[in-house]
Amino acid sequence: MSAWRSAVFVTGLAAAAAMGCQEKVTTPSRCPALCPASKVELADTLLALADTADTSVRGFVLIREATYLLASTLDSLQAVTLIRFSAHDTMWTVSGTNLDSLYVGTQDSLVLTLSLAQRDTTVKNLRMVIWRLPAQFDTGATYQSVQPFLADSTLIDTVAIADTAIAGSHTFNIADSLHIPPGDSGVVSLAIGIVAPSKTALTFGSGNLSTAPLLTTYVHARAPFDTATSLFSVSPSVALFVLNPAPVQPPPGILAVGGIPTARTLMRLSLPKLVVDSASVVRATLLLNTVGAVGGFAGDSFYVVAEPVVRDYGVKSVLWPDSATSGIVLVHQGQSGQIQLDMAPILRFWGTAQGDSTPRLIMLRGYPEGSILGAVNFASHTAGALGPQLEVTYVKPYSFGVP
Amino acid sequence: MRRAPAVLAALLACAGASRAAAQDSVFGIRGLGLLDRGVSGKSAALGGGFVVFDPSAAVNPASLAGWHTTAGWAVGAGSFRSFDYGTGTSSLSATRFPVVGFAGGIGEKVVVAITASDYLDRNWSVQQTDTVSPRGTPVVASDNTQSAGGVTDLRLAMAYRLPNITVGFGAHVLTGSTNTSVSRQFPDDSAFVSYTQAQTTNYTGFGFSAGALVSPLPGLVTGASVRVNGRLRATTTDTAADVPMPVEVNAGFYDQPLPGLAVAGTVGWASWSRAAGALAAAGQARSRDVWSVGLGVEVGVLRLGRRPLPLRFGYRWRQLPFPIGGDATTPGPALSEHAVTTGLGFDTAGGRATVDLGLDIGSRAAGTLSESFTTLYVGLTIRP
Repeated sequence: MSAWRSAVFVTGLAAAAAMGCQEKVTTPSRCPALCPASKVELADTLLALADTADTSVRGFVLIREATYLLASTLDSLQAVTLIRFSAHDTMWTVSGTNLDSLYVGTQDSLVLTLSLAQRDTTVKNLRMVIWRLPAQFDTGATYQSVQPFLADSTLIDTVAIADTAIAGSHTFNIADSLHIPPGDSGVVSLAIGIVAPSKTALTFGSGNLSTAPLLTTYVHARAPFDTATSLFSVSPSVALFVLNPAPVQPPPGILAVGGIPTARTLMRLSLPKLVVDSASVVRATLLLNTVGAVGGFAGDSFYVVAEPVVRDYGVKSVLWPDSATSGIVLVHQGQSGQIQLDMAPILRFWGTAQGDSTPRLIMLRGYPEGSILGAVNFASHTAGALGPQLEVTYVKPYSFGVP
Repeated sequence: MRRAPAVLAALLACAGASRAAAQDSVFGIRGLGLLDRGVSGKSAALGGGFVVFDPSAAVNPASLAGWHTTAGWAVGAGSFRSFDYGTGTSSLSATRFPVVGFAGGIGEKVVVAITASDYLDRNWSVQQTDTVSPRGTPVVASDNTQSAGGVTDLRLAMAYRLPNITVGFGAHVLTGSTNTSVSRQFPDDSAFVSYTQAQTTNYTGFGFSAGALVSPLPGLVTGASVRVNGRLRATTTDTAADVPMPVEVNAGFYDQPLPGLAVAGTVGWASWSRAAGALAAAGQARSRDVWSVGLGVEVGVLRLGRRPLPLRFGYRWRQLPFPIGGDATTPGPALSEHAVTTGLGFDTAGGRATVDLGLDIGSRAAGTLSESFTTLYVGLTIRP
């Protein structure tokens, strides 16, 4: 009988365990009989941001900080790259011999290595033009001020870029030798432009988060060891490019994003409390109308990103670091008209305890910033109906009811 | 001796693993929820007919006189339900812990007990899918509204044995909370993001109960109890409401006409219409007074070893106070629930522990909506 009772207990224990620990409570609704009294209701509103304080500033990423160097013959933007290479060593040691060192005698050849980033592959027979610049050229030079140096007298070479060349490292033999006056202390400066049957542009790595240009000099040792050879590669101490037209601050009425030096736009939004504080925004779209077409390489694309500002220091405002709270939209070169940028993450951020105390201020910038040529201009709030608008879809406050 | 704590441990483990109480009916979405049944396994098996005399139930404080030694008890109830909504069915399941308690004697005449029992069950979850057109573009939206929690009845009660009558008194505290939330989900490929809003409501209230048991004839015991509740105060972070709770009256009999045969019956009434005004003010349908009837038979012909193995059968019927339909001026038609019950009980651990099993099979219906349920009550009483 003890086994009988044990069986009963085990059965009871199993029944308690099996039936006790389970939950399935969700039912399909049958309204109105078995529905909550309140319903989730959506509302749409279009806010004309007429009282928005918006402004654009250029200069967040400077030319010398860009990840690329530019050579361009486009009508809208002409550019020449200026590079100053440091001096290479004047001697080298040879292992396995009893010689302490060998001194550089004569040059054998000079090779320029560039990491191509972007080119218009529809433009064939592209050639790179390389001029000699004064070793200590003015780093504040403009496109106009360097023109006297882009003459036949300073021309080093024109080298072809293969029509099949794609992004990556490419080497160009630019000269057999290059006389370096003693006063230049071994420093070599070059200007790089392009020529092609049609207007085009070319970018290559600058060394800022990208592969830097290299100037490699193949040399012979001085006599009597002139049969010994070596090579020296040096990277730039200065690498920049000059533009025509020269970059200027965006004019009033224009909200600029991207380009180089990069431009950003600050927009201070005045929003109804319901939209921001209800934390119930399910979709918010910033409607921006372009002024002109999106600039950049043909067929190129880049992102316009809206990020919330957490500390308002004007153009030096601190941005909220979490990318999940930003809005983003992809724009394409040549695109024009209305661009819709998702703002829901930012409005929902403003509805949180973290974001509640932050200013209702966003910054628009291009992405990847300083790595793209693309730029876009939008109409500001002064453009009236063409100015920025915010379309918000939100859930009206839900009434749970008490009790 | 070691197995009884093991069963109790299993019950408590389940209590920790699941929510304190779970949806016992889809109709619990109405009004203040589903009126709970804080009954023991024995009362459940007897159709609730024994509840006025059940020392484990928190109904009649005089029934505590049924404890002749220190005792602790707990009841777990697993429920399986099928909801027929006219165009389909949905299978549901949940777990409740209807009542736990502890009792001890003071001298020969007084028994004091503390109980915690389910009072109002506000666990429910409703899923609704619809096509909405924000910005003029159709998009599928899936709404889920759910409530978790309820109101628990904490009772401190005592019974006093007099020569021809036993009386009892109880003080009740109603406490608990519900976490209610609503969410809307959009398809992943839509431009819309999900939305969630939540609210916590806390409940407090008080009540008093009194009861008596009288044995007018040999083998026959009659009993009655009345419970007067105050207002249930519901508070959120920014608002509050007071809802009058009902007066509850229960009366019943327990008779042993033959050796090994016992019959018990109980009739109950609760003035839930007292809450109607407050519910109407909150935009909900009015509640109504409700009746309940339970009848049970216990047959003691079987034995488990040398100990009796009583078999129990019963039938119960009750009305629910928050009916389907109705509005702020008129309550809807009464919503009834009925069930047939069965079960058994046996002692173990040398008579120091009792296991009561009760099976409750029934249904509720309102128009084209109906719900059938099967609930297994597992009760354990320990008398150390």
